[in-house]
Parts: sequence; structure tokens; C-alpha cells
Amino acid sequence: MELLAFVVIGSVAIVSALGAILVKSPIHVMVWFLGFILSIAASFFALKADLLAGLQLVIYAVAIVVFYVLVITTIPWEKIKMFEGFYKKELIFALPAFFLTIGTVLYLVFNAKLSNMRQMLPKDNVSALGTVLFTKYIVPFELASFILLIAMIGAIIFGKEKANG
Amino acid sequence: MDKYYMMLGLFLVFVGIFGIIIRKNLITILVATEIMLNGVNVSLVAASHFLGKVDAQVMSIVILTVAASEVAIGLGLVVSIFRLKGYEASEEIAELRD
Repeated sequence: MELLAFVVIGSVAIVSALGAILVKSPIHVMVWFLGFILSIAASFFALKADLLAGLQLVIYAVAIVVFYVLVITTIPWEKIKMFEGFYKKELIFALPAFFLTIGTVLYLVFNAKLSNMRQMLPKDNVSALGTVLFTKYIVPFELASFILLIAMIGAIIFGKEKANG
Repeated sequence: MDKYYMMLGLFLVFVGIFGIIIRKNLITILVATEIMLNGVNVSLVAASHFLGKVDAQVMSIVILTVAASEVAIGLGLVVSIFRLKGYEASEEIAELRD
């Protein structure tokens, strides 16, 4: 059952990721990317990370994808058409390196022995994650909020510059 | 089983690098970076599954935050480059200041 879930989720994730980087039009890229995000959320559910799957759905599939589509619609379409496509030379040279690296790394991981300290995950993922997040990892949590604040200030500054010029 | 999810995450990271190398459009390059971040997330959650601890999921939450702010800043940069210059192919943005 788990294997079946992995095969379905993994094939959807791989096909949609490849589609997202190989399709021409930016709007089609966003549709493939949405499918990719949904498959990643499904893999989080399969790995029993319920809170992260929900966050993935809320943050990526709603906020980020909508933001991308908004930006794509503000840019004039005929200008986008000029710059879609690939760098041909880079594609030819990157393809063997891509397959070589992926083959090597996947071979290494496939033959590796994972750590044997196997414990069961807590039943209630949300409460366990919240407890760890607000006690042991309070500093990274606060740093994350600080990163968001800085990003907000930066986005406001870019927007202002655009309105003046 | 966790090993397979880890391999999936690594594969997605390399797909993202490949996309950054070959694509012309700046928006698609940003999407490729998102694919890389998601690959790292899948690897972290797989590690948290086979270790039986939720610590790695905290790191994935931090990565989610970084991804959100990266999209905000990156798309703001794309729009302002486009308004300023009128192009958005990555090869034409070659000068630092003018």
C-alpha cells in the first residue's frame, strides 16, 4: 500500500516538475507547478507530516501560485513571448551532467544504510510539532518571523520605486 | 520506503538546478528555485519519518518561510527590472548598475 502510494505520488511529482521546467508558456508553467505542489503535499501526508502538508497547501498552492499568476498578468504578453524558451547550448551541455550527477547521487543513496535508531512518530503530529517549535526551536522560529518582516519591507521598497519611476 | 522519498527529493533538487541553467525566462527560473526548495523539504520530512522525530519538520517550516519571502522579493525584482528596462531574459541582465 505504501509502495503504491509512493509510486503514484512520485510519478506525478517527477512528471509535473519536468513539465514545469520544460513547458514554454509561463501560465502553463504555473499549472504544472500547481500539480507539483499538490503531489508534494500528498507525499507529506504519506510521510505523516500533517501540519506541513496543510501549510504546503495553504502557503504554496494558494498564496505563492496566486502571486505568480498576478505578476505574470501585469507583464505585457507580447514581451513575455519574446523570451520564452531555452538556451540551446546550455541544454546540450547540461543534459549529460544532469544524468551523470543524478545517477551517481541516486546510486549512492540507494546503496546507503539509513540510521537504525527507528522510533515511531508521535500520533498527534500537530501538537508534537508545536511543542518542539515553541520550546527547543524558538530561536529559528523568531528568525523566520524576522525574515518575513525584512521581505515585507523589501517588497514595499521595490513597489515604491516602481510607482515613482 | 523512506529511502525512496529521499531519492525523490534529491531528484527534484537536480531538476531545479537543471531548470535554472537552461531557462531564459526569469519567472520560470524562480519556479525552478521553488522546485529545489520543495525537494529539500521532501528529503527533510523523509528523514524525520525514519528517525521518528519531528525536529526536521521544524526546519522545513523555516524553509517554507524562506520560500515565501524569496517569492516576494524575487517577483518584486522581476517586475522592477521589467519596468526599468523592458526585458526579462536572464542573459540580457548583465550590468550591475547604470
